[in-house]
Amino acid sequence: MTNPVVLVADDDDDILLLVTTRLKRDGFEVIQASSGDRALELARERRPAVAVLDIGMPGLDGLQVLEQIRADEELREMKVLLLTAKAQESDVRRGYDTGADAYVKKPFSPADLSTRVRELLDGA
Amino acid sequence: MVVSRISFAVGLGLIGIYFALPSGGRTQSILYDVIGGSAAVAIALSIRLHRPRLWLPWALFSAGSAFFVLGDILFTDETPPTVSDGFYLAGYPVIAAGLLLLMLEAGGRNRRAALADAAIFTVAFALFQWVFVMGPAVRGSGSLAEHVVGGLYPAMDVVLLGAFAGFFVSPAWRTPSFRLLFAAVLALLFADEIYGVDVGAYSSGDWIDAAWLLSYVLWATAALHPSMRELSEPRREPSLRVGFARVAVLAAALLTVPFVLLVQALRGKPLEPYVVAGLGSAIGLLVVARLTGILRALERIRLRERAARSLAEETQYRLALQNDELVEADRLKDEFVALISHDLRTPLTSIIGYVELALDENVEPPLDEERHSYLAVVARSSERLLRLVDDLLFVARLQSGRLALAPAELDLCQVTGQAVEEARPRAEAKALTLSFLGSSPVVIEADKGRMFQLLDNLISNAIKFTPDGGRVDVRVVPALDGAVIEVSDTGIGLGPGEAELVFDRFFRSARAHEQHVPGTGLGLFIARAIAEAHGGTLTASSTEGSGTTFRMELPSRTAPQPEKAGEELVA
Repeated sequence: MTNPVVLVADDDDDILLLVTTRLKRDGFEVIQASSGDRALELARERRPAVAVLDIGMPGLDGLQVLEQIRADEELREMKVLLLTAKAQESDVRRGYDTGADAYVKKPFSPADLSTRVRELLDGA
Repeated sequence: MVVSRISFAVGLGLIGIYFALPSGGRTQSILYDVIGGSAAVAIALSIRLHRPRLWLPWALFSAGSAFFVLGDILFTDETPPTVSDGFYLAGYPVIAAGLLLLMLEAGGRNRRAALADAAIFTVAFALFQWVFVMGPAVRGSGSLAEHVVGGLYPAMDVVLLGAFAGFFVSPAWRTPSFRLLFAAVLALLFADEIYGVDVGAYSSGDWIDAAWLLSYVLWATAALHPSMRELSEPRREPSLRVGFARVAVLAAALLTVPFVLLVQALRGKPLEPYVVAGLGSAIGLLVVARLTGILRALERIRLRERAARSLAEETQYRLALQNDELVEADRLKDEFVALISHDLRTPLTSIIGYVELALDENVEPPLDEERHSYLAVVARSSERLLRLVDDLLFVARLQSGRLALAPAELDLCQVTGQAVEEARPRAEAKALTLSFLGSSPVVIEADKGRMFQLLDNLISNAIKFTPDGGRVDVRVVPALDGAVIEVSDTGIGLGPGEAELVFDRFFRSARAHEQHVPGTGLGLFIARAIAEAHGGTLTASSTEGSGTTFRMELPSRTAPQPEKAGEELVA
């Protein structure tokens, strides 16, 4: 059985590496994107099981990427976890309204984030 | 009051008896002197009875009356000047001086106005008096001494009336005593004038005596009335009024000249142009001076009011400006704190996350113990920094009134138990006994996250301030329509007066400073804010040196909060 694929998108390289490292250690296969546009491209190419999207990205932001995913017939079933440091309730609400499956606030514990990803996969 | 009534009744009775006695008889004459003498004594006694602040006027009234009585006793039908005339003529200025003193005292700040009013009256009456009473007396037949004495009586009436007029328009208290005094002077002047117009027509026991006797009785009654005390008190007019009475008085004074001229012309008597012109000019000038004074006073009041108004307006404007600045400064501060908090959280994400990765025990090669301990310190410190940032953000949100609760039914015992269990490792590290007492379920409506934050703050606080080996007790008790939670410790306690201060933002107790207990002074401020947002109360009580108890009372239902508009921050 191949490892589940997780897409991680964040414009901050440090955070991208942090999440990637943790998820890889926990046995996921990780694909990285440092912008929303790239993330959407990779999502269509690789069909990851879970996408971890940062909300605050230049260009297409996390919420817009989520909208595109939900609008795409073939990607619709993908699990999406949103990450944000913006800490605004309206964002959280918009996130869930747009169809996010989970929401994690920065700063977060990488181990906890990994657990949440695992839960999303198991719940599927 | 009783004394004055009795004296008035007795006086009237005696006057009645006086007229019942045979006219011109010796008994009648003695009764006259008795009435006058009693009045003089009564006035003197009234000073002792009522002890007015200003006693001199009343002493003068008593002395003046005594002079009149002496004049009465020594009165003969001889041609003037007699000793009797001397006493009579001495009585007037003494009484006038008393009236002037009362007037000046009552006037307070308005003495000059009162004096001017008195002067106008005096001059107007002098004109009247000269033309109708004094002139004929002076020009009449008889010796020079007779002329002088005959002219002095009406002149003394002028003096008395002048003083009386000033007193009448003065702002003195309009008490019964004032009215009685007014009537007494009026009776005296009335009798004098009737007497003066035709001196020869008078004989002892004449009806004019009634007016003179009444004057004595009224004067004594005025002095015996308790309200005479107020007459000697200064009274300030609430504001300058150009009332009808004042205008009428000034107009009457101005009309004296045409009136006198008209009457003399009708009677075919000499017009005395020099006297009329001289006194008439004096009246005119005095009235103009008085009116100028009134106008100036009004102008001063107007200017003062305008100045006061513009000052008030300016103050109000400045206050509004200052308030705007304060509101803006407060808003900027909140924005600043929110921004800083957010910008601090981003790098903290990397620090906390990477330290966690580095401390991961399933990675090869394992960390040596020394480096592991270093990183453990970094982990602890960054957690503390994160908590501080969260607290600051929370306070900033509180200050801008954006604390939103999500109340739901929960078991307070379960939430408290959870908070206690979470704190247990910290308590055990200090060898503290951490006990929890409470039996589930204690159901209330509250925001679970906030309630946990509050309880964690209280318990952490208790652990922090309790020395190694001490105790921290947490109790949850159901109450009528709500619940009570108590967190007690055996810690350092609070200093005097600190029980309320501990809830202030950034407050740190003196003991915390002394003993270097770390903290920001935000935890209890936040705890109380959360308790109050739930409609509850949080209070502290302490015995210095032997621990502190925090007591929170929560209602079973949180009052619905008004929906806040705009974007809301969440931690």
